[in-house]
Amino acid sequence: MKPTGVLFFPAFDWAISPTHPEREERLLYTRDQLFEEGIMDMDEISEYHPRLASFKEVSRTHFCVPSVDTRVTQAHLVSAGSALVMADAFMKGEVKNAFAIIRPPGHHAMTVSHGNRGFCDINNEAVMVEYLRQTYGVRRIAIVDTDVHHGDGTQEIFWHDPDVLFISFHQDGRTLYPGSGFDDELGGPLAFGTTINIPLAPRTTDTGIHYVLDNLVLPLLDEFKPEVVINSAGQDNHYSDPLSNMSFTAQGYAALTTRLKPDIAVLEGGYSVETALPYINMGIIMALAGIDYSNLREPDYDPARFKETADNMRYLRALVDQQLAVFRQREEVVEKNRRKGEEFASIKRSVFYDTDYLREEQREELRICPRCAGFRRITSAATQRTGQRYTVFCVSLPRACCESCAEEARDSYEEMKDRPAFDYVYLQDRILDEFRTFDTKAEVESLL
Amino acid sequence: MLIGIDVGGTYTDGVLFSDGAVVHSVKSPTDETDLKATLLLVLDELLAHGIRDEVHRVVLGTTLITNLLATGQGERTALLLMPGSGLPYGSYRICPETYFLKGGIDFRGREIDPPDKKEIELVLREVDRAGILRVAVAGKFSHRNDSHEKFVRERIGELYPAMEVCLSNEVSGRLNFPRRAVTCYYTAMTMREWNRFADGIEAAIRDRIPSCEVHILKADGGTTTLEGSRKRPCETVFSGPAASTMGAMALSRETLNSVVVDMGGTTSDICLLIDGRPLNASKGATIEGRLTHVSSFAVHSIALGGDSSLRMEDGSLRVGPLRLGPAVCFGGDTPTVTDAFNVLMDLNLGDIKASRTKIEALAAEAGQSVEALCLAVADRVTSTLKDAIRRMFTEWEDEPAYKVWEVVNKRKFVLHRVIGIGAAAPAIIPLLSRELGVDYFLHPYSPVANALGAAVSRPTLAMEVHVDTQKRTYSGAPGGFSGPVKERDYQVHDAVKLARMLLAELSRQRRLSVYSEDAQVYLEEQFNMIRGMGLAGKLFDVGIQITPGFIEEFKGVDL
Ligand SMILES: [Zn+2]
Ligand SMILES: [Zn+2]
Repeated sequence: MKPTGVLFFPAFDWAISPTHPEREERLLYTRDQLFEEGIMDMDEISEYHPRLASFKEVSRTHFCVPSVDTRVTQAHLVSAGSALVMADAFMKGEVKNAFAIIRPPGHHAMTVSHGNRGFCDINNEAVMVEYLRQTYGVRRIAIVDTDVHHGDGTQEIFWHDPDVLFISFHQDGRTLYPGSGFDDELGGPLAFGTTINIPLAPRTTDTGIHYVLDNLVLPLLDEFKPEVVINSAGQDNHYSDPLSNMSFTAQGYAALTTRLKPDIAVLEGGYSVETALPYINMGIIMALAGIDYSNLREPDYDPARFKETADNMRYLRALVDQQLAVFRQREEVVEKNRRKGEEFASIKRSVFYDTDYLREEQREELRICPRCAGFRRITSAATQRTGQRYTVFCVSLPRACCESCAEEARDSYEEMKDRPAFDYVYLQDRILDEFRTFDTKAEVESLL
Repeated sequence: MLIGIDVGGTYTDGVLFSDGAVVHSVKSPTDETDLKATLLLVLDELLAHGIRDEVHRVVLGTTLITNLLATGQGERTALLLMPGSGLPYGSYRICPETYFLKGGIDFRGREIDPPDKKEIELVLREVDRAGILRVAVAGKFSHRNDSHEKFVRERIGELYPAMEVCLSNEVSGRLNFPRRAVTCYYTAMTMREWNRFADGIEAAIRDRIPSCEVHILKADGGTTTLEGSRKRPCETVFSGPAASTMGAMALSRETLNSVVVDMGGTTSDICLLIDGRPLNASKGATIEGRLTHVSSFAVHSIALGGDSSLRMEDGSLRVGPLRLGPAVCFGGDTPTVTDAFNVLMDLNLGDIKASRTKIEALAAEAGQSVEALCLAVADRVTSTLKDAIRRMFTEWEDEPAYKVWEVVNKRKFVLHRVIGIGAAAPAIIPLLSRELGVDYFLHPYSPVANALGAAVSRPTLAMEVHVDTQKRTYSGAPGGFSGPVKERDYQVHDAVKLARMLLAELSRQRRLSVYSEDAQVYLEEQFNMIRGMGLAGKLFDVGIQITPGFIEEFKGVDL
C-alpha cells in the first residue's frame, strides 16, 4: 500500500501582522500534536520538503499587478510550491493521496491580484490545477472547498472553465465573509453548472454536512468523473473557531475526508489554533492514510453536544435536490447560451480586498465561442496599498481553447499594447505556456 | 596518556595515545560472549607499552547494548503507556508486555484526563504476577508535564518497591511519544545488564590504573562517564560509526564538507561532515528497526567491505555480501575486494603474489583479462559507494523545512573531500574520490582511527527547555526538570539562560562540568500566544548542547 504524502509547512517565520489570525502561532500546536504522535514516522506517511513556486507557475493562474515578484512574498511562493510538491508526489504515484498543511492560505485570491483578500494573495489550489494540466496533461479536475468561508477566489478563477467542477460549502454569505456563494452562483455562460454552492445555516453540525456530502457532493463527483479530486481543506467549520459560527468537529472532518477520498488536500483557513487545528489536521491525515481515528478527539469533545435541527435538515434536503437538478441540466443550458449568438458576454464587478483594504474595479469579457469555452479579457484598476494606482488589461487564454480563440486573444494583447490608458498589458497564453507583460510606460515586454 | 578502545563486531581496536602520537596500537578479535575479557585483554596490552600512572583517561566504545537488543537478551520489561487521545492504541506495538493506562496531557502540558489509581494498581498486579521487575512508563506530552509519569512511579514505589522504574521524560525532552517510549523501554530493558558490565569494567580498571577517568563513547560522538551511562545505557549503541567519524575528524581537522568512509571487513559506514561537523540523524538512532530519541550521527551502512568475497555465479561476477575470511594477501582462501585492488593498483598489501594467483584464476573462470576483472570489481565497489553517498546528500538536502528562510536558502551539499578510514581504505578510497571528482585524505593512522577517535572525544550533553509564560511554568529534559517562571518581560534570552543553567546542573549531576561552558544553542523558537486581540503569553523552545569535539589536551596528530 502506498503512503499518504504530507507536507507540513507552518511558515514559523511569517505573519500578516503580529496579532493577525494568520500568524506564526497558527500551526504551532498542530506541529506539537503531529510530532508528539510520531505520525510522520509511520509507514503509512511520507513527509515531503517544500519548494518555491516559480513566477511562471504563479502566472499560469494569476495576473499579479504589477508583477509576481513585487506582489507576492516568498512565504506565498513556498506555500504554493508546497502544493506543487504534493501534486508531483501524487501524479508520479509515490503516494496514494496527499495533504499540504501549509500557510499562507489561498482560496480567496482571484485571477487578478492587487493585494491580500481574506488572508490570501495567490490561490494555491488554482496554481496547482494549472500545474497539473501543464505538467501532466490532466484535464478534468474537481475542487471541493470545505472551508467555512466561500471559496470565492477559486470560484472566480474557474467560473468559465467547464473542466473544473468547483463545489463549495460554507456558512451562508449573509452571515459571513466574503458574502458570496449563494445557490444561484452556478458558473459562466459556457461553464454553467460546474460551479456549485451550498450555503449552510449557522450552527450546522456534522450530520448536516455529511448529508450534503453523501447526497450531493459524492453524486456530483460520480457523474463529473474528474481525473483528480482536490480538497480545499479549510478547518474553520469547527465549533470552536473564533471567526465563524458552525458546529463541525474533528471527528466530523475526519469522517468527511474518509468519504470524500480527495487525491490532494490543501489546507485553507481554520483559526482555532489551540482547540481545533491540532485535532483536525491529525484527523485528516489519519483519514487519508486509512488509520483508525476513533481515539482522536478534542479535549472537550462531546458527541451529544450538537444536534441537527429538523428545520435545517429540511432546508438541506431541498437545496441538495435543487443543485443536483441544476448540475444535470448544465449541458442544455450551455447550449442555449451558445445559441444566443452573442459575441462576448461581459460583466462588471467590484472586488474588495479586506486585508489590504482596497477596492478593485473590474470589467470582464468572455468570448462566447461556438467551438470552445472561450477566452477572457479583463480590465482592472485599483489603488494598491502602496498608494500606487494601476490600470491593467489582461488576456487569458485557456489550454483547452480553439485556434481562432487563441489567435483572437493574442491579437487583443498586441492591440492593447498601444493603449496608453493601461499601465500594464498581460497575456496568459497557456497553449504556448508563455506569459507576457507589457509595460506601456517603459515600452518593455517581459516574458515568463 | 590516553587510551581508546573500540569494540567492533569482528575486531577490537585499541590505541595508546600520547603527545600527538600513537604510542602503541592493538587489533584483537572480539569475543562476543565475553566483551569484558576482550576489553581487558586489549587494555592490558596497551598498558604494557605505556606508563601506567600516566594514563589518566580511558574511553571505551562497546557493542554490548547493540548486541543485547539485537539478540533479545535484554531483561523482560513491562511498558506502561498513557497515550491519551490520538492514534489508536494498536499502533503502539512496541513490545509484548505493553499496558495502557488512562491519563491525558495536551501539548501545553495541561491535564485532560487524570490517571486512574485503581487501574494502575490492577495493571501493576498483572505485571507483578508475570514476574516482571522492570517497568518503563511513557505518557504523551510527559515532557511538558511529568505529573502522570511521576504518579505511576510513586504507586509502584508504594506497592512494589522491588520494581525498577524508568520514566520517559527523564530519558528525552523532545516531541515524539513513540520514540520516547521506545527509548525508555530499551533503557529499562538493558539497565541491569549494563550495570553489571559497568561494575566489572570499573573494578578491573580501578585495579590496574586507580586514578583514571573511565568514559563510554556514545552514538552522538561524545563521551559520558561510566557512572553517567548507568542511567542511559541506550546512548552507547552504535558507537562504532561514531568512533570512526570522530577519528576522521581528529586526523583531518578540517572545516570542509567531507564524506567519511569507514571501510571495514564486511561493511562500510558512511558519514557526512558538513563544514567539518558530523551530521546528526534527524530522526535519532534506529535500534532494531525502531526510531528512538538516542541522538546519533547519520550513518549509512552498506554490506560491502575489503573482505567481501569475489566469485563467479551463473556466469556473472558476484561481489559480496559474504565474508569468507580475510583477503588472500592476508592469508585467506577466497579472493576479495582488497585482493582485486591490490592487483589493480599494485598496492603491495601483504602477499601480493597470492592475490594475483587467485585473481588470475577467477579472471580465467570469467573469461576476462585480469585487468578487466579488477576494473569490474572496482567499478562495482565505487558505484555502490557513490550511490550511497549521493543518497545521503539528497536526504540531507530534502529534510523537511518549517520556515520560509530555510526553503529560500535551500541547502546544497558540495563535496570537498573523501576521508578514508579502516584497513581497506588505502585500496579503495583513491579510486572512489577520483570517481567523485574530489580529493581524498588518508592518514597513516587511518587503520586505528576508531580507537583514536574514542580516545580523544570529549563529553557531549544536550538540554531542551520549554517555557510557557501563560502557564508560568517551564520544563527541561532530559532529567525531568520543571518549575515556575516569572511572566513579566520574559524574553528568549531568559529561556536560553535557563537552558544553560539546567545544562550546567545536569553536567554537574553527571560529573561532566568541564565543557558545559562551550554549549551551543541549536534551537531557539518563540511564539506569541494571541487570544482575542491581545498577547496572552509567550512560548519558548530552546535547545542547547555540548557538541561533539575533542578534549582540550588533544591538539592534533603529529606526522
Ligand atoms: Zn476560511
Ligand atoms: Zn474558441
